Amino acid sequence: MKKYAYNEITLMQYIFLINGAQVATGVLALPRILAEKAGTDGWIAIPIGWFFSVVASIFLVKTAERYPDDTLFEILIRLFGKIVGKVAIIVYMVYFAFYAWIIFVNGSLYIKAWFLPKTPSYIILLLFSIPTFFVARNGIRVLGRYSELSFYMVIWIPLFFLIPLRDGTWLHLLPILKEGWKPVLSAVPTTVFSFLGFEVAFFLYPFLQKKQHAVLGITIANTLTMLFYVFVTIVCFVYFSPDGIIDFNQPVLYLLKLIEFRFLERFDMVILAVYLIVVSTAWMPCVYLATFCSSQLLGKQDHSQHVIILLLIIIGLVFWREPTWNESEKFQQMFVKGGLQLAFVAPPFLWIYSWIYEKLRRRVRH
Amino acid sequence: MKRKILLCLSLLAMMMTGCVDQINVEDVTLSLILGLDLDEDDHLVVYMSSPVFNKEAKVKEEKVEVKAVTIRDSRELFDMTVMALTSGSKTQLILVGKKLLKRKNWIDYIDPFFRDPKNTVTTRVVAIDGPVSDVIFFRPKDKPRLPLYLTNLVETDYRRNITVKTTIQEFRKQTMEKGMTASITEMKKDHKIMLTGTALLDEQSRYKLSIKPHENKLLRILQHKTKGDFPFTISVPLESNGRDKYWISFSTPNVKVKTKVRYDGHFIFDTDVKMRIAITERLFPFNVRKDTAKLQKSIETKLQADFERLIKKTQTATIDPFGYGIYARAYTYPEWKKVQNQWGKAFSKADLNVKVHVTIGGMGTIK
Repeated sequence: MKKYAYNEITLMQYIFLINGAQVATGVLALPRILAEKAGTDGWIAIPIGWFFSVVASIFLVKTAERYPDDTLFEILIRLFGKIVGKVAIIVYMVYFAFYAWIIFVNGSLYIKAWFLPKTPSYIILLLFSIPTFFVARNGIRVLGRYSELSFYMVIWIPLFFLIPLRDGTWLHLLPILKEGWKPVLSAVPTTVFSFLGFEVAFFLYPFLQKKQHAVLGITIANTLTMLFYVFVTIVCFVYFSPDGIIDFNQPVLYLLKLIEFRFLERFDMVILAVYLIVVSTAWMPCVYLATFCSSQLLGKQDHSQHVIILLLIIIGLVFWREPTWNESEKFQQMFVKGGLQLAFVAPPFLWIYSWIYEKLRRRVRH
Repeated sequence: MKRKILLCLSLLAMMMTGCVDQINVEDVTLSLILGLDLDEDDHLVVYMSSPVFNKEAKVKEEKVEVKAVTIRDSRELFDMTVMALTSGSKTQLILVGKKLLKRKNWIDYIDPFFRDPKNTVTTRVVAIDGPVSDVIFFRPKDKPRLPLYLTNLVETDYRRNITVKTTIQEFRKQTMEKGMTASITEMKKDHKIMLTGTALLDEQSRYKLSIKPHENKLLRILQHKTKGDFPFTISVPLESNGRDKYWISFSTPNVKVKTKVRYDGHFIFDTDVKMRIAITERLFPFNVRKDTAKLQKSIETKLQADFERLIKKTQTATIDPFGYGIYARAYTYPEWKKVQNQWGKAFSKADLNVKVHVTIGGMGTIK
C-alpha cells in the first residue's frame, strides 16, 4: 500500500520543483562573483559545479531508493533511532526555515531597492506570505503544480537576455583559460553552492509516481539550472567588459536596465516583478518542508498552522531586525556552510551508512 | 468564509501599497537634460532642463543653473527653485562642458547614475564644445523643446553614423575597459546648435581630440560597428597628380570588417574592410561599366589614406577609441597582460594596416 497515494507528483512536477528550489536570487549576482574569482573564464566553473551537484543528487536518489515509501524523516529515524533521527530532522527543519528566511529577505531587499523604496520590508513580506500560505498549506502535489505552472509562465524571460547581446563583444571570452585552471577551480565552490536546493528531492522521492525516472529527473533539473546559469553568465560576460563587470552588484539586473522599447523604458522593473515568481518557487518548497518536518516531529497530520506560525515568525523577525544588504550576505554565507554539509556531504554519507546498515541487518536475520 | 476574508484582505493590501507613495505628474520635475560644467573659478555648475505640466505657464520648460558640489547635491538646490521635486529617472541627455571634460577624475561625478537604481542608464552622453549654459538656455523658435530636439538629433544622426551614440552605461563600459578609450557625441552652439561629430577621450576619460562626421564613419567601421548607413562623399584621385576634384558619393549597404593581431616586438593589427557600395552621386563623366576596376581602386586608395590619417591622429594622442586592445587581449594575452595598464602607449607604437576592398554593386539608375 502506498502511503502518499493521494499526493503523488509527476516526473515533470518533480523536475520543476527541484529546479525551482535551486534558482532564486543568487543568479542575479553570480556573474559578478565568478568574474571576481576567475575573470571571463568563470563560466567554466558552472559545469564543474553542476558535475558535483549531479553526483550528490545521484547519491541522494540512490539512498532514497532503498526505502521507496519513506521520506527523509522516516529514513533518518529508521537508520539512527528515534533520538538521533529527530535531532537530524530538526537540523533539516532549521535549515529549510533558514533557507526560506534568506530568500524572503533577499526578495524583499530587491523589491525595496528597485521599486518600492518607501514600503517597509515587513509589508512586502506580508504580501509575499499570502500566496505562500495558500500554496504551502497544501501538499506536495499543489507545490509541484505551482512550480510547473510558474516555469511555463516565466520561460520567456531568457529571451530578453538576447537583446543586449546585439551590443556584446564575444571577444571578451577569449582567450579561454587565460590564466590556466587555478582561478577557475577557485570559483568552483561558489558555483557548487549555487546549485543548492536539490536536497528537497529527499522529501519528494516517496511522492514521485514513476520512481524509475528519479535519477533522470534530478539530473534534468540540475542541467536546466546549469544551462540557465551558463546562459546568463555568458550574456553578462559578453555584454560587460571584463574590467567593468566586477563593479556591479547585480550585473544581471543592470543588463535588463538597458533594454528600452519605444513604448516602454526601465524593463528591469517588469522583469524583476515577474522574476519574483521564479524566486517564489524557491521559498515555497522550503516553507513547506520546514513545516512538514515540524508537524511530523509533533506527530500532526495537518501542517497548515505551522505554515502560519513560520510565516509570522519570519515577518516578525524582519519587522524587528530590518536586515540590511550586508547582513543578508552574511546570512547567505552561513547558509552556504550548512548547505555544504546537508546537500553535498549528507547524501554520500547516508548512502554508505544505509548500505552498511542493511548488510548488518541481513546478517543479524540470518 | 475564511477564504473570502483572506481574499478581501489581500486585495486591500494590494490596493493600499499604491496609496502610500503616490506621485502626481505635477509634483515631479523631470530633469530631461542634465548639464555639467565648470565656471571661471573651476567650481562645478549643474544645469537642468525640465518640462512644466501646467496650463498657466507661458513657457513649458524650466531651465535652472546651480553651483553645487555633486550632482546629488544639485538636486537639493534645484528643488529649492523649481515647481516640484526633481527626479532623474527620465534623463535623456547629459551634457558635459569641455572645460570639465579636460579635468582629471570628472567621471566620478556621474556616479549616482549607476548607484541609484531609480536613475536610468540609457541617458546619452554629449560633450559640449564651449560653455554648457549656451546650449541649455538656447530657445530655438523652429524646434520643439530642447530635450526632445537634442535627443532626436543624436538618435537620427547616429543612424547615419555622423556621430556615436554613447549611453551612460556604454560610456562606463568604455571607460572601464582597459583595451579601449571612450568616444562621445560632440555638439557646439554658434548661432544655432550643431552636432559637430565625436569627441575622443583618453584613458582617464579626459578630452583628447575631436573628429568630424566623415572620420566618425571610419571610426565606427574600425570599431566593427557596421550598423546603420554609411554614406560617403569623397573626391577620388583618378589621375595621379591631377588638380581636378572628382566628387563621388556612395552608400555602403554592406560593410564587413575583420581584424587580426599578432605580436612581433610590438603589436601588429591587420584590418580588412570589405565594402559593397552603390553610387548615389557622381560629378564627373566616367564609364563605370568599362572601368570598374579603376574606380574601385581609386576609392580604395582614398579611403585607405583616410583610415591611415585617422589612426595616425589617435596614435599621436595615445588613445585607442577603436578597441584594438580587446583584440590584443583575446589573441595575444601574454603580451597584452604586460601592457594592459598602459595600453594607450603600447597602441601608439603598434602597426596598424588597414586594407580596403571595394566592390561597386550598383552605379545607380543612370549611366
